[in-house]
Amino acid sequence: MNKIKQNPFVRKVGFNRVILFCVLILMYTAFCILVPGFFGKARIMSVLNYVYFLGFLSLGVTFVIATGGIDFSIGPVMFCCALISGYTMIFRGAPVIVSLIMSIIIGFLFGLFNGYLVAYWTIPPFIVSMASMNIAKGIAAVYTKTQSVSWPLSTDPVNGWFRSLVSAGGFPVGLLIFLIAAVICMVILNNTKPGRYILCLGSNREAVRLSGVDTKKWEMLAYVICGTLVGIAAIFFVGAYTTVQPGYGDQYNNEAIAGCVMGGTSMAGGLASIGGTVIGVFIISLLQEGILALGFAKDIQLIVTGIIVIVVVYADVMARRRKN
Amino acid sequence: MSEAILTMENIDKSFPGVHALDHVHFDVRSGEVHALMGENGAGKSTLMKVLTGIYSKDSGTITFEGREIEFHNTREAQDAGIVIVHQELNMVGDLTVAQNIFIGREFMKGFRIDDKKMIDESNKLFAELKIEIDPRAKMSDLTVGKQQMCEIAKAISHKAKVIIFDEPSAALTEKEIEDLFVIIRDLRAKGLAIVYISHRMDEIKVITDRVTVMRDGGYVGTLITSECSKEDIINMMVGRVIYEDPKTESHVPKDAPVVLKVEHLNAGRMVQDVSFELRKGEILGFSGLMGAGRTETARALFGADPKTSGDIYVNGQKVTINSPQDAVKHGIGYLSEDRKRYGIVVQKSITENSTMASLENYMNGAFINKAEEKKITEKYIKELATKTPSPDTLVVNLSGGNQQKVVIAKWLVRNCDILIFDEPTRGIDVGAKNEIYKLMNRLASEGKSIIMISSEMTEILRMSDRIVIMCEGKKTGELDISEATQEKIMDKATRDIA
Amino acid sequence: MTKKKSILSDQRVIVLLVILALVVIYMIFSKEFRQYSSILSMLDFSYYDVLMAIGVTFPLITAGVDLSIGTGMVCYALIAGRLIRDHNVPVVVAMLICILLGCIVGLVNGILIGVMGLPPFLATLCTCMITRGISSMIMATPWPTTKQPGGWFHSIFKLTFGTGRQATKIPIGFVLVVVLVLVMEFVLNHTKFGRYTIAIGSNKEAITLSGVNVKFYHVMDYVICGMFAGIAAIAYAAVVPTVQPGTGAGLELDAIGGVFVGGVSATGGYGSVLGTLAGVFVIVLLKTGLPYVGLQANWQQIITGAVLIGAVIIDVIKRRRLAKEQ
Repeated sequence: MNKIKQNPFVRKVGFNRVILFCVLILMYTAFCILVPGFFGKARIMSVLNYVYFLGFLSLGVTFVIATGGIDFSIGPVMFCCALISGYTMIFRGAPVIVSLIMSIIIGFLFGLFNGYLVAYWTIPPFIVSMASMNIAKGIAAVYTKTQSVSWPLSTDPVNGWFRSLVSAGGFPVGLLIFLIAAVICMVILNNTKPGRYILCLGSNREAVRLSGVDTKKWEMLAYVICGTLVGIAAIFFVGAYTTVQPGYGDQYNNEAIAGCVMGGTSMAGGLASIGGTVIGVFIISLLQEGILALGFAKDIQLIVTGIIVIVVVYADVMARRRKN
Repeated sequence: MSEAILTMENIDKSFPGVHALDHVHFDVRSGEVHALMGENGAGKSTLMKVLTGIYSKDSGTITFEGREIEFHNTREAQDAGIVIVHQELNMVGDLTVAQNIFIGREFMKGFRIDDKKMIDESNKLFAELKIEIDPRAKMSDLTVGKQQMCEIAKAISHKAKVIIFDEPSAALTEKEIEDLFVIIRDLRAKGLAIVYISHRMDEIKVITDRVTVMRDGGYVGTLITSECSKEDIINMMVGRVIYEDPKTESHVPKDAPVVLKVEHLNAGRMVQDVSFELRKGEILGFSGLMGAGRTETARALFGADPKTSGDIYVNGQKVTINSPQDAVKHGIGYLSEDRKRYGIVVQKSITENSTMASLENYMNGAFINKAEEKKITEKYIKELATKTPSPDTLVVNLSGGNQQKVVIAKWLVRNCDILIFDEPTRGIDVGAKNEIYKLMNRLASEGKSIIMISSEMTEILRMSDRIVIMCEGKKTGELDISEATQEKIMDKATRDIA
Repeated sequence: MTKKKSILSDQRVIVLLVILALVVIYMIFSKEFRQYSSILSMLDFSYYDVLMAIGVTFPLITAGVDLSIGTGMVCYALIAGRLIRDHNVPVVVAMLICILLGCIVGLVNGILIGVMGLPPFLATLCTCMITRGISSMIMATPWPTTKQPGGWFHSIFKLTFGTGRQATKIPIGFVLVVVLVLVMEFVLNHTKFGRYTIAIGSNKEAITLSGVNVKFYHVMDYVICGMFAGIAAIAYAAVVPTVQPGTGAGLELDAIGGVFVGGVSATGGYGSVLGTLAGVFVIVLLKTGLPYVGLQANWQQIITGAVLIGAVIIDVIKRRRLAKEQ
């Protein structure tokens, strides 16, 4: 065991990430054995569809959790982005490119709103999340007059092209984009000033402030990054699932948070791993596909992720207690 | 005088690396006020914590009312009748006075808490103490003085036989202290045994019957207050003559420019009208007792806490400092007394901590130039002789002295010319202390200006070129090192400002 | 000494004025609102909100939160409803089961938070999802209507005399919730449980040092909260024609928002159940009253969110002013 831990590659990647990756492989193997026909491209593509949007949500919330905060408005905000921009396209005739940008801007604005209230007004993040979750649902419902919105199919000659962001000719373009985004996030978190300050202030806000750093600004930025990524997640959601309905989206909060904390990001802040988040997202997505394939209702997924989050966070709490 | 109600004999206690109590003797009699004195870190609080069961002792015996005892927590001590009135008050601000006094042992009437009885009982206690406090008032609405009275009332309600006051006057006004003394005399007359921990010499003379002095975890001696002078006590507290090569004269040239001038700085009760100057290459010692307002002055100056008024000049230029950002911009660095909370991010690496205040200088466009960052960190690891396997080591894995060096490196990397060292050697072992001293001297000789806040007299006398002494939030004196002695400093630091 | 405060500085008084103002505005602008039946229906839909809010006041005073009350409530109503329909369980037993289930989920929350030390919002977010997942797997369930056997339970909240249009309806549910509010206000102010709840939110360290079994009382706060979610499930079943599976998310916000409007501090340590009652009615009026003045019902969510933020910002400003004074 210790020998494995000392292996230079393992040390670089992180022992927990290696374990997590093994879990992912084992799970896939198990599903392939349990479910006839699970092995194959169709299932993988289906899992990937889930990975894209959940991945962006998870990447976003990783930044927020790194500051020691939380955002569980991300699911409904994603729906809000998809609904408002989609409605504008379909009922107001906006070109799809405008809608895509609009989606990202709406996500950005929600991030700004959350971040401002948390950083400058010191409102507990969970209260801000609660409020903006409902505001997002409300705005979407008011704007769309509670209609669901279906985004154009790939056969649509004018607007259908945006589907090729998700997959083109059987090639998973979305996976490529998601992995590029993950690498960018990794670079931001580990190699840029915002990332450095976000991680440090999550670990000891006061020490960072007394080093002459504007902690409020950087804390808000984490929420803004999160919001922007949620806006992108919305595009991939409709790219894969076409239809969005007002009033929903909160089931994805927990899955995104689960993916993030499973990957080794600590709820206490200061510790985040984008690589871990990516593997975590794959596990959650595979799990939901597997649960469906095994013939269970989709709702089992809610229960399973709930339990996963509790167990993982408890492990984190215990690890910190032992250290002190 | 009666027999001692409580005797502590040969109490010994060690923490990893520190011999905190070295065969200490202490006793207190019914109907007496017994002062426990000593410099910060002399072991007074540790001794009282051993007594009330917060720490367990390594050896020695405690005899209470003729029986040997050992408590395992404060609750047991309370039940036996030994109660401590803490310096930091343990109050639930949102509950009323009466509710606080009886918390955890409410009077019940079936399901219902009998608030009326609690109020009546509180009134009785207050009447006994001859103080006027409304038991229905919310605790957080009271002044600190009144809150302290409530703690005393709580102590008495425990049917205490021994009450320990841990620096009760530190946060009180003159008037409140007088009230407190009336109460203490009253309690003494009722036959309670009182242990009074304080730094204030004048109080000791006024209120106590005997004085026990501790130094460096050891027992120095016990005197009868009326038979000794203030100087006797100070001599016992200071004791050692062995402070390593104290500075005899200032190393600062007479014509050295003033780099920092602070005028009429005010920030709450702990910083009142403080003015001073700092010259280039100077080490300016800030001496005083705990709670004298030195740290508060530094924090207000640094912009860490809001100040109400005051002007700050850096290199002759008036500057506005409203946040640490402003201070850092003007080349001021602050090394907090509480490193783990305010100085370092323990879960991050040495490199990350070293460049915390100056990351913008180690950027390559939008990216952090990690090679450059590592180079500068390695440079300071070498220069400060920080003991670490690599710059990537997490700070949490370093010893106290080396953590302090990381904080120093942070400000040196930022190229700060004015450094505020707040208790630079607290929690650092002797060998590392010397290194820090050498380092500070070197920095001063290289032209950095240093403000050093220290509660250790030897440290002040060894390091400072000039000494500012504070007491109760005010500056009470300034001495050049050539004229400074421990006695003079202690005198100013304990001066009663009426 | 305590300063004599003007009566307006009590948030509860302000909230009462807001309620009055809202009612007056609705009365002026809407003819329908002036009818007895509107008031009656508004009250009907307020009970479950008030009941949830009473319960969640306790975790919020400890500076925690319970996000599982909304989905929990729906889940209990569904389970009990199925038991009535499929297993001929008497309604009274079903009601007790609702309350029991609430207590169990509350106990789980309490253990996760008070004993295991998980962040309250995270632990209850998970139980929120779990209860929702469970309720999604249960078929939509109408509880017995007034005319069916077992329909008597509607009379807990609304007494009906006569039939059809001539029926006289008396909203005795209002009396019931007021009584419960008074009881819990008493519990908060005059029992050990209440006192320690406030102390946990105000200074947990101090009360631990006083030798109080803090964990027990911390867990109990969530059990009480769950119990009221269970009671709310009965009120919910009484007004909703059919309890739908997988719903209930977002309902907790009305309750939690109401508590904050009622003056509980976002950092814990202070609160009053009477304030909660008033606060919830502000939310309920906004929720049910908006259509009367021509606004879409969906504005309600936006306004509740904004009101929540507003209430907490007032709290932040108050605390900052206090800190400045000291």
